[in-house]
Amino acid sequence: MEVPELTQEIELETRDLNFYYVGGVHALKSINVQIDRNLVTAFIGPSGCGKTTLLRCFNRMHDLYPHNRYEGEIIFQGKNMLIDGIDLIRLRSSIGMVFQKPTPFPMTIFENIAYGLRLKGYRKKPELFERVEQALNDAALWQEVKDKLQVNAFALSGGQQQRLCIARALAVEPEVILFDEPTSALDPISTAKIEELIVELKERVTIVIVTHNMQQAARVSDMTAFLYLGEIIEYGQTKKIFTNPDNKQTDDYITGRFG
Amino acid sequence: MTVEQRRKLENLTALVLSTLAAAFGLFWLIFILGDVLVHGIGALNADLFLSDPAPPGIEGGGLRNAFVGQIMITFFATLIGVPIGVLGGTFLAEYARGTRFARIISVLSDIMVSVPSIVIGTFIYALLVRPLGHFSGWAGSIALAVIMIPVVLRTTEDMLSLVPWTLREAAFALGAPYYKVIMKVVYRGAATGILTGVLLSIARVAGETAPLLFTSFNNNFFSWDMNGPVASLTVTVFQYAMGPFEEWHTQAWAASLLITLFILAITILGRAIIKWRYRS
Repeated sequence: MEVPELTQEIELETRDLNFYYVGGVHALKSINVQIDRNLVTAFIGPSGCGKTTLLRCFNRMHDLYPHNRYEGEIIFQGKNMLIDGIDLIRLRSSIGMVFQKPTPFPMTIFENIAYGLRLKGYRKKPELFERVEQALNDAALWQEVKDKLQVNAFALSGGQQQRLCIARALAVEPEVILFDEPTSALDPISTAKIEELIVELKERVTIVIVTHNMQQAARVSDMTAFLYLGEIIEYGQTKKIFTNPDNKQTDDYITGRFG
Repeated sequence: MTVEQRRKLENLTALVLSTLAAAFGLFWLIFILGDVLVHGIGALNADLFLSDPAPPGIEGGGLRNAFVGQIMITFFATLIGVPIGVLGGTFLAEYARGTRFARIISVLSDIMVSVPSIVIGTFIYALLVRPLGHFSGWAGSIALAVIMIPVVLRTTEDMLSLVPWTLREAAFALGAPYYKVIMKVVYRGAATGILTGVLLSIARVAGETAPLLFTSFNNNFFSWDMNGPVASLTVTVFQYAMGPFEEWHTQAWAASLLITLFILAITILGRAIIKWRYRS
């Protein structure tokens, strides 16, 4: 595997990561990947290749379901996140996540964002308001919702709901945000807004995005990993992967010959 | 007979039979409700609510003791039964989700729902009345609470299970501990459903007589004392309807009407909440 030229500081790193779902399904096979700080890294690959599974390892979402098993290491902030006794709550407040379908909580727009802030210990109203506004601004949603903060979040459009979820993730000031096909349920205009946002946000956070949409990966990401059957087939600069991949399978997938 | 004629005949038969069955059921329902309404409405007067029973044969008197008693017993039953039911349902749907233990408890609760209430009455009688040597309002409340618990527990479990997992994942992904995910996100998502279940369980126990006969019994005098026998509308109806006096019968009709209206009101409220929740 070629060493990427852009390599800066490493935010997240997996070392020989294997993952097994219930019943021993071997979903990830010896994954070694380094995620660079303040870049956008995309995982692409056909359905069932393990890209979402890999993404959900980083905030240990798999721990919510019994009998899932990790092997290997995930290094974050100098520590292996897969050893016993890791504070999952702290891990998850450092590594946020935005899901495929918008997941607003059944409460007001304001409360949706304040939920995470309260988890972080912010209690005073003025401070909450300030941070809610900041988060909504960061997610390019403030102008649209500033007059209806007390409205139920379900009243927003799908694209707005997704940006609300991004604002909610940003509000707790994570180091990394994981995007799991964040635009697959959205229309093209909302998709464009979210892509724009992702590119802007990398100034502040490290972004890992899973996408089915290869154009999207090409547009927003700096680095791209191509996964197939639970393995990383090729990992490198997005430019290179999309123009001149080393691997034939990658080339076939990029050009639409399979997947 | 052609295939087509046969099909139409079968269709007609099914239609007629099901309509008749529905009409038969509805007839008795309307008959009972109408009878209670006709007899009960004439017996309603202010005295019914403001005074306690007069000695038999003496004019006037009311059922104030039974109203207050009914409210007390139902109130404390709700206070005991609802938290246990909601927490139990939460345990099954969240912490024990998918385990064999949870499934067994679910099935047992379903069985509990259909246990005859008189069995629960005698059970509490053996547990709380016999050992203490006297009937008490508390025993009545606890008997009703025991009836409520499986109803509330199963509704809570079902309603929590309907809250999509992605919502919980989203809360976990923000770094929320499980109890905060449940309290602030899952409960909000299921709030109306749980509330409806609670209301329907209140309606269910408000009409119970058998468990109260063995526990809170009856009291001809006004009493706030939950440690002694407490009057209730249902037991009063039972006693008065069996009694020899004409005034008793009238008052039993009035009490029947009021219980029916109370249960109707709660049920309508429950339905209204569901409708309001799912209007969009």
